[in-house]
Amino acid sequence: MTVDRARWDKGITYDEFKAAMTRNQERFAENESRVALDPETVRTFKSLPKPLRVLVLAEDWCGDVIANLPILGRLDKEVPALDVRIFYRDQNLDLMERWLNQGKYQSIPVFVFFDENFRELGHWIERPASVTERRAAERKKIFAAHPEFGSPDASVDQLPEDVRTRLQSELQKMREGMVAFANGEVQRELRELVSKVAV
Amino acid sequence: MSGKAVKVKITYCAECGYEPQALDLTKALMYEFGTQLTAIEIIPWESGTFDVSVDGELIHSMKREGGFPEHATVKSAVRSRLGSAPGV
Repeated sequence: MTVDRARWDKGITYDEFKAAMTRNQERFAENESRVALDPETVRTFKSLPKPLRVLVLAEDWCGDVIANLPILGRLDKEVPALDVRIFYRDQNLDLMERWLNQGKYQSIPVFVFFDENFRELGHWIERPASVTERRAAERKKIFAAHPEFGSPDASVDQLPEDVRTRLQSELQKMREGMVAFANGEVQRELRELVSKVAV
Repeated sequence: MSGKAVKVKITYCAECGYEPQALDLTKALMYEFGTQLTAIEIIPWESGTFDVSVDGELIHSMKREGGFPEHATVKSAVRSRLGSAPGV
């Protein structure tokens, strides 16, 4: 399966994706408004010697899409050399199969960078490992501080409803507290990727 | 009707798009057992979860077994608690 002009043209723009969202539209907009683009990120992308196409695989129900796609969207607005096209994962499984996470998981978002002639330059999947690791560490701390939450490995359906609600609230606070770090890590990885592939 | 109270809980990752699988399983259990079940509780969660427990016993966990449960496995667990044979 190759990506060519005909396939590329079937993708939708970032704004079209936002307009077509059937859920999480407010969360997405809020995340977009909270993205603080690092000047180094903007500089890196603006110094690209040639236009860069970015194919995105996404769905509007996915938490990582809601968190990370707005970063690329903001970059798309700032950097004229970027051309972003979004494809719904579940309607484009042939594309998904090509960029599986660890060769087996259909994780999204996927950002695939191409040159003008659709030569693949690199790709980025889901979220930085550093974010996953920190999230896991913070999650452990929450469980350690709240014995009533039980084991972090146990199914939450064993918890009384009120305890489960408090756990959900703690996890939500933790994720909120990590937004700046996570956004920074996404930008760092995208900068590194683009710096390596820029031709 | 056995008269036993059997409750099923389905915990699914609401950020992973697992709603169809949760609803398919719920529907299958509703059609199969009807009023024999006391309740089917659907719990929206996160972190790639898809857990199914019957009367507090974890029958399937995506983290433990991988993937989604076979409906037959869950139905079998319910039947054994109801003390009924298939189709009864």
